[in-house]
Amino acid sequence: MENAQLIGLSRQVALQRQMDVVANNMANINTAGFKNEAMLYEEYEMPVARDRDFSYSDQTLSYTQDWATMHDLSAGAIVQTGNPLDVALQGDGFLSVQTLAGERYTRDGSLKIDANGTLVTSNGQPILSEGGTVTFGPAETDIAIGQDGSISSSAGNKGRLKVVSFEAPQLLKREGDNLFSGADAVAIADTSTLVVQGAIEHSNVSGVTEMANMIRVNRAYQTLTQMIQRQDELRSKAIQTLGSMQA
Amino acid sequence: MKALYIASTGMAAQERNVEVISNNIANMRTTGYKKQRAEFQDLIYQQIRRAGSQTSETGTMVPVGVEIGSGVRTSATTRIMTTGDMIPTEKELDVAISGQGFFVIQHPDGRTAYTRDGAFERDPDGQMVTVDGYQVEPGIVIPENARGISISNDGIVEAYLGTDTEPTELGQLQIASFVNSAGLQSIGNNLFVETPASGGAQISVAAADGLGALLQGYLELSNVNSVTEISDLIAAQRAYEMNARVISGADEMLSSVSNLR
Repeated sequence: MENAQLIGLSRQVALQRQMDVVANNMANINTAGFKNEAMLYEEYEMPVARDRDFSYSDQTLSYTQDWATMHDLSAGAIVQTGNPLDVALQGDGFLSVQTLAGERYTRDGSLKIDANGTLVTSNGQPILSEGGTVTFGPAETDIAIGQDGSISSSAGNKGRLKVVSFEAPQLLKREGDNLFSGADAVAIADTSTLVVQGAIEHSNVSGVTEMANMIRVNRAYQTLTQMIQRQDELRSKAIQTLGSMQA
Repeated sequence: MKALYIASTGMAAQERNVEVISNNIANMRTTGYKKQRAEFQDLIYQQIRRAGSQTSETGTMVPVGVEIGSGVRTSATTRIMTTGDMIPTEKELDVAISGQGFFVIQHPDGRTAYTRDGAFERDPDGQMVTVDGYQVEPGIVIPENARGISISNDGIVEAYLGTDTEPTELGQLQIASFVNSAGLQSIGNNLFVETPASGGAQISVAAADGLGALLQGYLELSNVNSVTEISDLIAAQRAYEMNARVISGADEMLSSVSNLR
């Protein structure tokens, strides 16, 4: 009889994690370049748990397990900002960022210039061009970024943004700070992604869908709590009935 | 439950967003004001099942991991330096910059400040000053008997003195530009000061080196667009409400557990 409760619990643990994922999506509804996350489950056949209440052969019991969080890599809305250092990517590509831990990737195109004139992210990590970092001199003005990612200023051509896409984008790992790392994802140079200057890609989180997800998680969780409660009542009744000494 | 804390970071971020938007709206009619935009970043992820880890000796691996994020934080409030609308004022000492660049101001605390607010005045000594009485660089003195002051589009200030029939040049306004003008720090009173992020000021004159030309008798309004601000405000408010709903949803889940038995 405990099996039913344990199966219910395995689902509740997974639902709690899904609630965390929904909460994180919702918290990042205004984060530039943020990609929605979805949770996938798989059936887990518990090798040690068997149901012997039936006359036919042993029945394996299936528990639930959170199996993966999937990146929903669909494009977010591209919004004009008028800031010349904002870029939005139209296509599957990612911008490359140089961090102390190695190369990282982002869809957040709100770029900045740091004290040395280097093109950086909001955290001051250099954005990579095909030839390395991009640096502007103090007197340079009129920074322009073309559709193919080529950067120019009053001092002429400054190189081209390194835009990469991935053979297996689902293998990307999230690192926070709008960065993805892609050790297993195999980055390939991307030429089909268009770079739009003066615009930014919003998060692709849909508030309505997440709200519906949350309600579903919430209800499923409550149903399971009720089920556990019923199971408990059932057991207490069984103990009472079976344990009564009236013969 | 983590969802409670995650959603609270979301609410805090939207609160910050509304603060930035309301400051933009409050400064909608501030001369030379440049709007700000709150930017956000996701927080660190907890890797519960790592993508790419091996699942068997034959080399099969987990194709997608389980990652649970921990919310959001405000990473920057970027200033958008686009040019605002120009409105005619018919006042001879009102100047607007149509294009890039900033007027150079001598701040009384010794720093050099920069502004897009070209509503200038004359102080008792005839100095060209801002409405706060701060000197506009380079110190241009307009004599008492000056009339018909004209400011050319490259910043040369001329006036007819006394009964002269030829105008006298009084000086030329300086214009500063920065590699990263969005990196300037605002110090209030429509003034900016340079920071390590903005780079040093490049002092030049208007209508040269890619800098904007001056327009006498005009003022630059703020570049706040009321329609986008209001729609951003609505989006921020809804996002705030949704995060609040997540908190109450997580609370319902917890309360269903605590009501067991």
